[in-house]
Amino acid sequence: MSSEITAKEKPGEHPVLWVARPMATAARQFAKSLFRPSTIVYPYERLEDPEFRDRLEVASGKPFGVGHVWDNYRGVHALNIATCISCNLCAFSCPDVCIEMVSVPGGDPKHPKKCPQIDYGKCSYCGFCSDACPEGCLTMTTRYELSTPKRSEMVYSPEKLHEIFRSKLPMNPIRLARPENEDAILLDPPLCIGCNACSRDCPTQCITMLDIPKPEAKPGEKLPRRIWKEPVVNDSDCVRCGTCISVCPKECLFWGTRK
Amino acid sequence: MSEMWINMGPQHPMTHGLWNLRVRIDGETVLDVDPEMGYLHRGIEKISEDRHYNEVITLMDRTCYVAGLAWEHLYIIAAEKALRIQPPERADYLRMMCEEFQRIGSHLMWYAAFVQDIGLMSPFLYGMRDRDLVLDLFQSYTGARMTYEYMRVGGVRNDLPPGFTDQARKVLDWLIPRFKEYDQLCLGSDIFHKRCDHLGVLSASDCIRHGVTGPMLRSAGVKRDLRKNRPYSLYKDVDFDVAVADGADVTARYLVRMEEMRQSVRILRQVVDWLDAHPGPVMAETVPRWMGAPYAPVGREGYLLKRQYPKGVGFSSIEEPHGEAQAYVVNEGGEHPYRVKFRSPVFANLSAARTYLVGYHVADIPPIMGSVDVCVGECDR
Amino acid sequence: MSNVTLYSVSYLLSDAVLRAIGSVLPRPLSTWITNADLITGIAVLVFGALLLAASMLNTIVLIWWERKLLGRFMDRRGAMHVGYAGLLQNFADGFKLFRKTTVQPREADPLGFYTGPTAYMVTSMILFGILPISSGWNSGFLPLSLLLALAVFSFAPLFIFVSAWSSNNKYSLMGGMRSAAQMIAYEVPLLLAVVAVVIVAGSFDLTTIVYEQQNYWFWGPLAVALIVFFAGMLAEMERIPFDLPEAEAELVEGWNTEYGGMLFAFFMLADYLRALVGSILVVLLFLGGWTLPTWVPAALTSFPLAGIVWFMVKTYIVFGVFVWIRASLPRVRTDQLLRVGWNRMIPLSLLSVFLAALLVTVKCLPVFGCVPSLGV
Repeated sequence: MSSEITAKEKPGEHPVLWVARPMATAARQFAKSLFRPSTIVYPYERLEDPEFRDRLEVASGKPFGVGHVWDNYRGVHALNIATCISCNLCAFSCPDVCIEMVSVPGGDPKHPKKCPQIDYGKCSYCGFCSDACPEGCLTMTTRYELSTPKRSEMVYSPEKLHEIFRSKLPMNPIRLARPENEDAILLDPPLCIGCNACSRDCPTQCITMLDIPKPEAKPGEKLPRRIWKEPVVNDSDCVRCGTCISVCPKECLFWGTRK
Repeated sequence: MSEMWINMGPQHPMTHGLWNLRVRIDGETVLDVDPEMGYLHRGIEKISEDRHYNEVITLMDRTCYVAGLAWEHLYIIAAEKALRIQPPERADYLRMMCEEFQRIGSHLMWYAAFVQDIGLMSPFLYGMRDRDLVLDLFQSYTGARMTYEYMRVGGVRNDLPPGFTDQARKVLDWLIPRFKEYDQLCLGSDIFHKRCDHLGVLSASDCIRHGVTGPMLRSAGVKRDLRKNRPYSLYKDVDFDVAVADGADVTARYLVRMEEMRQSVRILRQVVDWLDAHPGPVMAETVPRWMGAPYAPVGREGYLLKRQYPKGVGFSSIEEPHGEAQAYVVNEGGEHPYRVKFRSPVFANLSAARTYLVGYHVADIPPIMGSVDVCVGECDR
Repeated sequence: MSNVTLYSVSYLLSDAVLRAIGSVLPRPLSTWITNADLITGIAVLVFGALLLAASMLNTIVLIWWERKLLGRFMDRRGAMHVGYAGLLQNFADGFKLFRKTTVQPREADPLGFYTGPTAYMVTSMILFGILPISSGWNSGFLPLSLLLALAVFSFAPLFIFVSAWSSNNKYSLMGGMRSAAQMIAYEVPLLLAVVAVVIVAGSFDLTTIVYEQQNYWFWGPLAVALIVFFAGMLAEMERIPFDLPEAEAELVEGWNTEYGGMLFAFFMLADYLRALVGSILVVLLFLGGWTLPTWVPAALTSFPLAGIVWFMVKTYIVFGVFVWIRASLPRVRTDQLLRVGWNRMIPLSLLSVFLAALLVTVKCLPVFGCVPSLGV
């Protein structure tokens, strides 16, 4: 590596005629911006419009970017209700607690379908929810204008988010890179009572209750009162939402690495 | 006029943030100053104890709102040490790119605010205009212009979009002549030298005594840059020089920051070339599932999940645009860090205010404080 | 062209209006209403109103001009939305300020607090009654109009100081002190530079000074005086780099920190009125007023009101130079400002007086008339 340099050793500019140099620089900038100032007259010109961006780049000589600058923007969410599996992961991963799962029509009456409703008064657009979404149905779009005079209008219902989805705005194509060896749902067999709660509430229905042999009771020993079934998790279908863990009455499910 | 105290802040054009500088003046001469910080204290360290490791990143962007990615980097290094996770090499390069772009962005923001303090109007907008291009780049790969939330424990959120490196090179090519323009507007002006030479002198020994770091320390002639002295990330693989100036005055700080931006451009050219040549994963393979963005809910009753995590502590110190920032993360095996502690360089730099302000004029306070590069967000945390 | 004057226009207006009213009124009333004294009296009022309207309109357009110019210097557009290219933006701003409540700090002295801005505004507007805009477009023949203009111009520090002191704010007080020190320091070189002009022109009357520049504009022979006058005007107008009294970075808004609403608008308007007057004085004293060099085609100088048009063009260009300076220079410090004022500007202005006297004594002034680039 080269030696450290001293900034004072090569100062860029020296004053010429007191203030002639800065005034010349300002005049040069004036001449440049007479043709095209850098201002983007916002409501009429939009940087997300690629054609405008290209024209601007040519006109101003500034690298405003071509094409890709805007598409990854994290703006208002879009929700595809049809593919939502009500796994709650978006609501769980929200640091601002601005996502509430509300019922939407559809689903069987016993397990109503719940989709995220987002309060944009609280949302910080961190994108954790869309990263978390296992089905890719909650994404972020390039839409960013949502000023409204009413606070209640900042709360976007699932239907409204679905409208945004249907408007075919550019969606944020970036997905979180997922690790290979994800933790899986493990079972602590002695604690399980076979109650079926996990299998019933699993949004992806990847938990199957399998019969296990009822052990022979030794003399003097009392068998636990339980249903002789045990959950088996299909790891490839599992989205790791943890619903089973939270509904388990006996706390017998936990995260772990499958051997 | 007899002596009097005046409050410069918390709402005052000089402060650039929410802090108060109490100044005792006699006419136009400063006799004593008393910096008061804490107006922007949001308890970020305490909130972090209640957040998942990845969620702390959202707080880091708000800790320093002009150098969010640098603070993300700082926290991530400490958290990864605490959790014993090794990021892939490409993720490290991406983080270095983030930090260097952030350094340029932060220094441009400093430049804009500083020239406004000495009364220059148009360079303020030039600085903001050119910073905007850096923000455009951030937007193109992190998705946001200010609160990036880009880094994750074990890597970064996503890889670069196609065509990014060409765009980055274009921006770097655009920036270099702009730095020359800035120099013409400031160093080329006699009035600038009249205002800033031999002003706010803080000697090297005073810097070290008060814990002043960063460009202020380097402007006093001390060659200390953590990227060189204690290379973190992969800074030992890139070629750059430490910007040092002598004089320890406002002009020297200006020179150091300008040179740092040029060096950042130099680093970025190497990093961007490397990124072009070496595609690869950006997320570590050994990250447990609960380290990803979705994490397991804590259950209806709020009990923690029965999961034994590896314990550990992590310490990191990086050369943030304002100085040397440090982070300490204690992992006691839960989902959340047990304790997070940050060391803000701005806090130390501001605390030494009495040393470099007393004896100058009232009109000298804005340039001197401007040359300190105050970011109250990280100072108060 | 020369027979159309501001007074004749207002007299015609007043005459036409009163005769129109008289024609519909019955006999005794109509003779009374169209008598010569009343017509003259109303004409004077119309004269004043026209002057006021013209000065205010010009000031507001000047603010627009500064905003647009400054915008281009800063690589942006300036006001864009209200009216064509933001021309009406300042009217909207003014209307908004007009509607705002005037807040008076509890401990402020009401007398000074209210009279300060008002007097500042009024004295600045008086200046427009003095300055000639074109031949005949002035308020009459004043043999000492230049002296009067500068005297009225230098009232300002007093009122600034009064309003600063009475707002009972430390920043205001410091701003007022700085303002007073600065204006007094720069008054001297400014007047000495004017003395150089007066020596060459031989008159204190602005109209005469302009006519003296028929052969050569004074900026050639009196370049030193122009530099001193320009710098002095910058200081008097409190513009960057000499805007210490309202140095935003350290003094919030300087002496008008506590003012809001219409009182602030008074300060703002008066500041720009003074900027306009400063530019006009530069044009009158050094750039030949409303005259143009003879090599300019006659078509450009013979249309009606050509004098006023060219005068305004020159004024706005001079103001553009002020804006250019504002866009590219930082502000200096108080002690540096005073040091420059006393140590540099006064010797320079004395030198300019000496040079002017020398030029007049050795009678080499006509030399400048031979060089076409220096004026006519």
